Amino acid sequence: MPPVTTNPYWNPKVETLPKEQLRALQLHKLQRLVDRAYNQSPFHRRLYDDAGVTPDKIRTLDDIRRLPFMTREDWMQNQAEKPLFGDLITRPPADAIRYHLTSGTSGRQPLRVLDSRKDWSWIADMWCYGFWGFGIRPTDTVFFAFSYGSFIGFWGAHYCCEKMGCLTLASGNMTTEQRVKQIVEMGATVVCATPTYALRMGQTAEKMGIDLRKEGKVRRVVVSGEPAGSIPAVKKMIEDMWGGICGDTAGMTEIGTIMIFECDHQPGGPHIIEDHFIEEVLDPDTGNPVPYGERGERVVTSFGRGFIPLIRYRTKDLVCKVPHTRCKCGRNGDIYEGGILGRVDDMKLIRGTNVYPRAVEAVVREHSEVEEFQIVISRVDVQDEITVKIELKPDQQDSWGRLQNQLCKDLADAHEGLRFNVEFAKQGELPRFELKAKRLQDLRPQY
Amino acid sequence: MTTKTQDLLGNNLTADDLELIALYERLKVLSQRSDLPPVVVANCKQAMVMMWNACNDLGLFYEEPGCD
Repeated sequence: MPPVTTNPYWNPKVETLPKEQLRALQLHKLQRLVDRAYNQSPFHRRLYDDAGVTPDKIRTLDDIRRLPFMTREDWMQNQAEKPLFGDLITRPPADAIRYHLTSGTSGRQPLRVLDSRKDWSWIADMWCYGFWGFGIRPTDTVFFAFSYGSFIGFWGAHYCCEKMGCLTLASGNMTTEQRVKQIVEMGATVVCATPTYALRMGQTAEKMGIDLRKEGKVRRVVVSGEPAGSIPAVKKMIEDMWGGICGDTAGMTEIGTIMIFECDHQPGGPHIIEDHFIEEVLDPDTGNPVPYGERGERVVTSFGRGFIPLIRYRTKDLVCKVPHTRCKCGRNGDIYEGGILGRVDDMKLIRGTNVYPRAVEAVVREHSEVEEFQIVISRVDVQDEITVKIELKPDQQDSWGRLQNQLCKDLADAHEGLRFNVEFAKQGELPRFELKAKRLQDLRPQY
Repeated sequence: MTTKTQDLLGNNLTADDLELIALYERLKVLSQRSDLPPVVVANCKQAMVMMWNACNDLGLFYEEPGCD
C-alpha cells in the first residue's frame, strides 16, 4: 500500500474492486437498506405494501426493479400531509444534528431534510472520495466561495476538507472582491464554487488588476451546482482564468452530498461512487434501463443517509453512462459522460439554486394585483439572472412599489434566498396564451 | 470483542480490520453510557461515528447509518 498522501484513492480497497465484487457489495447493502426502510419508515412501508413487495423479494441486484419509484412530488406531499418532515424519516427529529432545505416544486413549501451524526460524517466522506480523487491533499488550502446557510451546497465539502486535514477557508459573508483578495493573500490552492461564480471571481480579479495565474496559487477548481461544470468550453475558461485544473462534482439535497466526481485524469465526466450509490439510467417514459452510451433519466438509490432512505428516487436529471474503463484511473465507478446533461422536467438551475416555474407562479399568483407575468432567465457576463416581469391589473397600478418589494422578498424566501429581479411591464406588454402558457424564456446560450 | 471473521465480500479480516472494528465497538459502548461526563460522551460519540465511517467504507460491516 503506498503512503497515505501518494495513494491516488480515498478508499483503495473498494474503489478498485472488480465489478463482480462491487455488485455483491451493492446487493448486500441494498438488502439491508430495503429492510430498514420497510421496517422504520412508514412512508416506505406503504409504498412497498401497495406495490406488493417485501424486503425478502430482493435476492439479486436486478430485483431492484421490483421496487416502486420514489418521486419528489410524493416526498413533498408526504411532508405537506404530515408536517414538518413527513413519515419518511426513520428516526425522531430530535436525533438529528443537521437541518437543510431546498426549494420546492410547487410553491412556498420547501423540501426539508434531517441528518444524524453518522449521516453527516458520511456526507463529508462522499466529498472526500471526490476531493481526494481530484488530487486534493491535507497540505492544500481550500477556499469555499459559498454562503453558508440552509442550502446544503458545499457544507459537506467543507467538513470533508476538515476531515482530510486541509486548511479550510469559509467566506460566507464576503463580497466577491474580498474573496478574490483572500484567495491570493492566503495562497489558496483549491477554490470551490459554482462554475458561474468561479468565472465571476476570475472576471472580478481582472477588474481588480490581479492576474490569478501569476499572483494566485490555485491548482484545483472544484465546481458544483450547475451542469456547466462538465461543459468543456466552460471548464477551459475557468482553467484559463485560474491556472489550475477544473473538476466537476454533482450532488443533491435529497442525497445530502455528491454521488459523482471527476478524478484528476479528467475523463470527460464524473465517476459514480458505486459502493455508496446504485445509479440506474432509465428511459423516462417506459422506466426501462437504457444501455451504455444512451441518454436516460438518473434514478438513484443511496446507502448512506440513515434518516431518509432514498431508494429508486427519480431525479429527472438526464445523463449518459459509459463504462469505467473509459478512464485510466483504475476506479470501478462508471462515468456520466459530460456530467448532468439536462433535465427531464422544467426545473432550472440559477446560480446553484433549483427553480421550478410552477413554484414561481404559485408565489406570484398569491398577489391578486397581478394580471400577467413572465419569467426571463438570462446571462449577464458570466452570471445567470432571473427576472420576473409583472403586468398589473389596470386598477392596481398604484400598488407597484409595495408589490415589487414584497415579490422580491417572497420569491427569495421560497428559493433559499436567491435574488430575483422583479420588473414592471406595461399594460398589454406580456404575451397572452390560449392553450398551454409559455411564460418562461431561457435566453442563456446553449453549449 | 468482535466475533466477525470476514468482511462483506467474504475476505478474512486482517489484523488492521480487527483493530478498527474493536475500536469502533469500544467507542460505541462508551458513547452509550449515561454515567460519564458530557465531555466524554459527546467526544466518544464523535469518535465512534468516524470509526463507523471507516469500517463502513471498507465494507467491514454495513450498520444502520441513521442511529448514533
